[in-house]
Amino acid sequence: MAVAAPAMHHKGPDRTAINRLGLWLFFFSESLIFALLLSSRFFLEGLNIPLKHGSDEQAVDQVLGLAITVILLLSSVTAFTGETAFEHGRKRLGHWMILATIVLGLIFAGGVAYEWKTAHFTRGEAFGTVFFTMTGVHASHVMSGVIMLGLVWVQALRGKYNEKNHWPVSGVVMYWHFVDVVWVFFYPALYLV
Amino acid sequence: MNKAMQLGMIIAVILAVLTVVEYIFAVNVDDTAIRFYGLSGAAIAKAALIVWYFMHFGRVFRPEEAH
Repeated sequence: MAVAAPAMHHKGPDRTAINRLGLWLFFFSESLIFALLLSSRFFLEGLNIPLKHGSDEQAVDQVLGLAITVILLLSSVTAFTGETAFEHGRKRLGHWMILATIVLGLIFAGGVAYEWKTAHFTRGEAFGTVFFTMTGVHASHVMSGVIMLGLVWVQALRGKYNEKNHWPVSGVVMYWHFVDVVWVFFYPALYLV
Repeated sequence: MNKAMQLGMIIAVILAVLTVVEYIFAVNVDDTAIRFYGLSGAAIAKAALIVWYFMHFGRVFRPEEAH
C-alpha cells in the first residue's frame, strides 16, 4: 500500500556560510605558519634590528617599510570598497576598485623586491634569513592574491557577479585582508622593534 | 551602500592613524621593552579592526539572511 511521504520542509545547507567557514579554517592554518615565522624572528634576533656594516644606521629602510605598509593598507580599503560595491550592485565601481587593489598589490610587491635588492644584510646572517623568509613568504601570498583578484576581475567584467551572487569577490577580498593582517604584525617585527 | 562605505572609511582612517603613531612611537621610544609592548598593542588593535570590519568575522556565526 502506498503511503504518502510527509512533506519535507527541511532547508538545504547554506552554501555561502559553508564556504565562509572553510575560508576561516584556511586562514587559521595559514596563521600558524606566519606565527611560527614571527616567533623565529624573535628567537634568532631578539628585539634587535641590525645596523648597516660600519654605520650606526639601521640595516632596513624605514621609509620604504612605512611606504609599502601604507600602500598595502590602502589596497585593503580599495578591496573593501570593491566588495561593498558588488554587494550593492554597483559593478562599475567594483571593477575599478578591484583593479586599483591589483595595482597597489603589484606596487607593494615591487617595494619588497627593491628592499631585497638594496638590503644591507645577506641571507647568511640570522636577520637576513628571517627577513628574506618572512617577506618572501608574505610576498608570495600577495602575488597569489593579485592573481586571484585578476581572475575575479576578469569574471566580473564578463558580468558573472551581482548583488545575489558575489561570493567569489568576497572570498578573494577576505584573503586579501588576511594578507594585510599578516603584514600588520610583520612590519613592526621587521622594521620597528 | 553609503553607510557601509562610510564605516570603511572611518576604519581606514583609524588604521592610518595607528600606523603613523606606531612609526613615531618606534622612532622616539628608546626603551626596548616599552617599544615592543607598545608596537604589539598597536598591531593587535589594527588586526582586530581589519578582521572584524573588513573581513566580516561576525558573519561566520550569523545565518546568510541576516547579512
